[in-house]
Amino acid sequence: MGQDCAGLDSPTTISATLRTATALALLTVLAGCGAETKVTRVDAGVVTDLSGRWNDTDSRQTAETMVKEALGTPWLDNFSRKHGGKQPVVVVGTIVNKSHEHINVQTFVTDLQRELVNSQKVTFVAGRGEREEIRQEREEQAVHAREDTQKAPGKELGADYMMKGYISTILDEADGVKAVYYQVDLELVDLESNVKAWFGQKKIKKVVERKRTVF
Amino acid sequence: MTARSHTIPPLCLFGLALVLSACGPAVNRYALIDERLRAGDAVRADAIVEEAQEEYGSKSQVLYRMDRGMTLHLAGRYEQSTAVLDKADQEVEQLYTRHLTTRAKAFLYNDTELPFEGAPYEQVMLNVIKALNYAIAGNLQDALVEARRVDHRLNVLADQSGDRPDAYRDDGLARYLSGILFEAAGELNDAFIAYRKAHEAYLAAHSWSRTPVPPMLRADLLRITDALHLVDEHAQYRQAFADAPWQRAEDLRQLAQVVVVSYHGRAPRKEDQFLDLPISLNALRLVLLTKSAVGPNSTAREARAAESVLYGLSGRVVRVALPRLIQRKTAVAYEEVTLAGDGATYSTQSELVQDLGALASKDFSDRFNNLAVKAVARAAIKYAAAEGLARGARVAAGRDAGPLVGLLIGALAKTLAISTEEADKRSWRTLPDEIQIARLWAPPGSYELRIRPVGKGGGQGGHQTAHPVTLRSGQTMFVTELAPQ
Repeated sequence: MGQDCAGLDSPTTISATLRTATALALLTVLAGCGAETKVTRVDAGVVTDLSGRWNDTDSRQTAETMVKEALGTPWLDNFSRKHGGKQPVVVVGTIVNKSHEHINVQTFVTDLQRELVNSQKVTFVAGRGEREEIRQEREEQAVHAREDTQKAPGKELGADYMMKGYISTILDEADGVKAVYYQVDLELVDLESNVKAWFGQKKIKKVVERKRTVF
Repeated sequence: MTARSHTIPPLCLFGLALVLSACGPAVNRYALIDERLRAGDAVRADAIVEEAQEEYGSKSQVLYRMDRGMTLHLAGRYEQSTAVLDKADQEVEQLYTRHLTTRAKAFLYNDTELPFEGAPYEQVMLNVIKALNYAIAGNLQDALVEARRVDHRLNVLADQSGDRPDAYRDDGLARYLSGILFEAAGELNDAFIAYRKAHEAYLAAHSWSRTPVPPMLRADLLRITDALHLVDEHAQYRQAFADAPWQRAEDLRQLAQVVVVSYHGRAPRKEDQFLDLPISLNALRLVLLTKSAVGPNSTAREARAAESVLYGLSGRVVRVALPRLIQRKTAVAYEEVTLAGDGATYSTQSELVQDLGALASKDFSDRFNNLAVKAVARAAIKYAAAEGLARGARVAAGRDAGPLVGLLIGALAKTLAISTEEADKRSWRTLPDEIQIARLWAPPGSYELRIRPVGKGGGQGGHQTAHPVTLRSGQTMFVTELAPQ
């Protein structure tokens, strides 16, 4: 034991021990540097494909592309010409999720509404759910609000067209490679005649690859 | 030297063995959960699962979420159940990628080191329970998402199963529930495909699933093919199910439907089965002596620790741990479901749609050969490594201390090898033994829904429950029932 202690005192051993201790300390410090949670603030427009599932980018890009396409087709000019330059009134109906994912359809509907309103080419009215709330507010105004500020019933703007649609998926998977094919179908239906004035389709295909084994 | 070897403190080895044998997942919580579920107290069962999350360990978080998702479902907390099961589903997906280091560690230690991902039928049940959660909450659109997801999962499973005709490659319940959901949503063509696949799945698995084609599925196939004007298919089914009573979809359109999904008994559990292989005559005597003292199938931790020490000191016993499946069959044969309204009563009986005990048994027997080969190889490697360690230590310690050090290290290494041998006993144990479904059509109105379990001997199988329900025309109401026993 005494010999061992004497051995430790030799300059070579001290230097080696110090080197080992420093390396260990450095490793400990470096290991401690890797925080478990890291948050990075990015622009909302940045594409973040993490899992391959339907995400905010898909929702936004699909809404932008499809509304742009819808407003660039002849039905809009035809309507304006027929109605003396009047803008068509559009309401968003049900977008049915027929996919393999629990897609927040409301986010997509909001994206559609935003694009329609911001286009300034159509007049956009509130959908069924929102209308109920607004009517209830008017009813309450009729009882509680000052008469000169009350909003009268029966002055709602009736929609000319309803936008409806589906989000569907087709999946194929083998050996850790999954192909996800999204198809978003939107249509504008003339509320008076049931004529489909416009039909749009947006397709997104993603391939998700997963390794079977890693070290 | 032999005399000095007796100075090795056996108590220390015993303590070590006890600590190591306690490293595996604790299973006592299941006794408490089972007791509460037997009493029909799902809320308390859920609280026990929640409190035990840490106990499950990092490798069994999928199992925790499966257990929790089911107890939340049984407790009627459907939204939370879905959230928990969703997380489990995502984790199962992530576990597709296997880590070689984890696999190597599990090979050298035991299979409880592997992350639990559930058997294929348990993964299918994730979607089934989620679909039911959504359906009970009246959210058919999301329930249908789960139906589509389970379809994809089963397609992938069928591809992986190759040409083995007896493999678990489809799931009668998952398909049948999908059919009910599609029909409830008015998507009759999808409902037909799902019903037909359910029929095929029940037929394909008849040799091992202990679940015959439910009679109501025959009526569903006749009704849906008639509604879709699929003349050829309808004629084929009429020929095949000549005696099946059925009603046309038009006759049911103005009625409301109640779908009662009932859970009977508890899914099988697994326990350790130790094979202690002596490789000398003395070791054989020791094994026989130990078995006569602690019993041949003793899995108590203290007994395992004592055995580990004795076998470790002997140095001539190899332990192989394999799981054993213990069935926990239900005593309930079926349920009588009655809708009692003003002056009118409508009744039906529940029918077996899934025998999870049979599914667990099938999965277990499919995996057993691989498990056994791996367990024997692991035991042999552990024994060889312990021998090598003892020899190395003997040489390194020099001529004087070598024999004692070698003996000590050898005994420690072998005790360690034996005490770490444990079978992977994890399975989704909050699932029931059997799932039954009853479908009942009645005119819209207010009723009392009565569910009475009938035992296998024909007597009372549990307490009758009663819930007030109000049904709308065209509505499909989903209700779940945990049969107390």
